[in-house]
Amino acid sequence: MTDLLKENKLLDAITTSFKIEGKVIRDHRVEVNADKNTVSSILLFVKNQLGYIHLAHMTCVDWIDQGEYEMIYTVYSPVDKITLFVKARIDREKPIMENIDTIWDQANTYEREMREMFGIEFPGLIGEHDFILEDWDQIPPMRKEFDTHKYAAETFFTRPGREDAKDVREEINKRSGAKVPDFAKKYSRE
Amino acid sequence: MENDKNSQKIVDYIQNFARKHSLFVLAYGTGCGAIEIPATMTSRYDAERFGIRGAATPRQADVLLITGYLSTKTLKRVIRVYEQMQEPKYVIGFGSCTINGGMYYDSYNTINGLDQYLPVDVYINGCMPRPEAVISGFVKLQELIMAGKANNGEKYRENLEHYRSNQKKIIKNWKMPDYNW
Repeated sequence: MTDLLKENKLLDAITTSFKIEGKVIRDHRVEVNADKNTVSSILLFVKNQLGYIHLAHMTCVDWIDQGEYEMIYTVYSPVDKITLFVKARIDREKPIMENIDTIWDQANTYEREMREMFGIEFPGLIGEHDFILEDWDQIPPMRKEFDTHKYAAETFFTRPGREDAKDVREEINKRSGAKVPDFAKKYSRE
Repeated sequence: MENDKNSQKIVDYIQNFARKHSLFVLAYGTGCGAIEIPATMTSRYDAERFGIRGAATPRQADVLLITGYLSTKTLKRVIRVYEQMQEPKYVIGFGSCTINGGMYYDSYNTINGLDQYLPVDVYINGCMPRPEAVISGFVKLQELIMAGKANNGEKYRENLEHYRSNQKKIIKNWKMPDYNW
């Protein structure tokens, strides 16, 4: 077990500068929970002062019960070998997040994808609105209220199954004489 | 082609024999199945002993191999490619995704059932089918050609309205050229 010196030093540097909370997840993993307005200044600070020069990933999580989206920025330092997660919550009704493609150019691609898949607006983001989807006229498909099963059943042609299709588990159990466990009975076709 | 006596002319027999042994497959890989094609083509399974080999462009190809799932965006390109191909032309659906959607059956972005959009001659099931299965599918296609039953290019022309209406259901912004055969 290491004593997590580097990780605690990084956490202290960020939390004392910005008055925010965070934690050391394990060795080489640090997480801070920021406000949505301070995210870009945190990212600039860790990039310019602490050497976290690599934006590994940025993504979004839909917390539909709490009415929020969570933006997660993953940055990495090749010197410290620490992955830092900067998390911020934004409102689900009016999802607007700061555009950070002035800090890292590659953020533009991630932001365009999030604009298309979650409907998050990034003021000042340059790029076509159609990114991966073509001619999409529904709500953004990665939102949790989008019922992909229903949409697929309405749009595409489902092939009816074979009439003599059998339940694999029951057939095997009939042959070997074993009993179907209780948790598996709800999947039965009979 | 069969004549009214349900038999083939000798010239058809020769024609079908020649077609059967020179199937040029369009090098167009969709989805994950394209990785099985190099294995099928190269020395271990050696598909060329059946006369199966690659073709560079759609206009030179006989067989369109749909290898795996088709997203709605790719379907547009596949239709375009299929309509550029010259007859006789055949379609092979490859893997369970082309048959019923496979593991993407409830995806918002991949089609379920290729034969609603293009006429399919042979389906090869499996996820993924191994090179033996691929070759067996091709052999099945050769049997169909030999029996004069693989004329789906003609079927597509005759039922164009049916296929077009299905295709336009997916591709809302239809900007494709209308070919007049």
